[in-house]
Amino acid sequence: MTDRTGGADGTKRDLAASRGIETDVYQPAEDSGLLASAVEKRGRGRLLEVGTGSGWVAARAAREAPEVTSVVASDLSPHACRAARRRAMGAGGDDRTRNEAGGQGPTGDDAGGDDRPNGGATVDVADGSPLFDVVRADLVAPFADDAFDTVAFNPPYLPTDPENEWDDWMERALSGGESGRELIDPFLETVGRVLAPDGVALLLVSSLTGYGAVLDAVRECGFDHEVVVEESYPFETLSVLALTHGSET
Amino acid sequence: MKESLMDILCDPLDKSDLELEVDERDGEEIIEGRLVGTVTGEVYPIEDGIPNLLPPDMRDEE
Repeated sequence: MTDRTGGADGTKRDLAASRGIETDVYQPAEDSGLLASAVEKRGRGRLLEVGTGSGWVAARAAREAPEVTSVVASDLSPHACRAARRRAMGAGGDDRTRNEAGGQGPTGDDAGGDDRPNGGATVDVADGSPLFDVVRADLVAPFADDAFDTVAFNPPYLPTDPENEWDDWMERALSGGESGRELIDPFLETVGRVLAPDGVALLLVSSLTGYGAVLDAVRECGFDHEVVVEESYPFETLSVLALTHGSET
Repeated sequence: MKESLMDILCDPLDKSDLELEVDERDGEEIIEGRLVGTVTGEVYPIEDGIPNLLPPDMRDEE
């Protein structure tokens, strides 16, 4: 979300509009690329992506994360769910097509997957079944206890003045409320339930959100953490934390 | 959604089991139907292959 940090509402909207055909759904950016590379490093087994947006990270995980065996993508927004479902079905979601069309993919050298050939597919879609399943959900609420080996989340994290909120779906894809942690805190409080005992949650954290405050919440919720990947940009530093059940739980 | 997803879905209200009712399927893929809470009786629609498992008070926004 690097380039959305400084602008007034109009600027952010223009950026959103220039980035994707539909402005209701967050399109992949640097943060998406970083989360995808963390998933390729640490993801395994059954993976849930919370707040999948256009489904780009989920698709990368299904195609290219070597140890991921199945993927579920969820979002609160009906527009995001439909966009992710289109990508899951392989229509309009091919990375190669999208990057050639508009260069909308991640731009970070390590973050992008743009130079990858189409190989490495781990899921056979020839039978017409989707690459991954899409569920409209509020965070992890409709998922069973211990269901996932990996949970990935790129939360809406931009701290937002309540008086400047737009109250639409793009707003909700970007804004983390006044603190920037409005979705991060409830995620940390609930994700432990759906995570298998030896599972890992991969959480993208921006310096704009307050790295220390997020770490405090991580500890309060009983997780151990380590940094999987980190990238610095002009306006923020992005990190992906791997969270595991602490020794007390 | 694939039918196998039933293994990891639960009622968002109380985490109890859901029952699958299918109107249209394509092999393993459920296209239209609903998930019904076995305890709450709440009905969660499946449309275009996407189950909507938002709790009822969050569901009306489009």
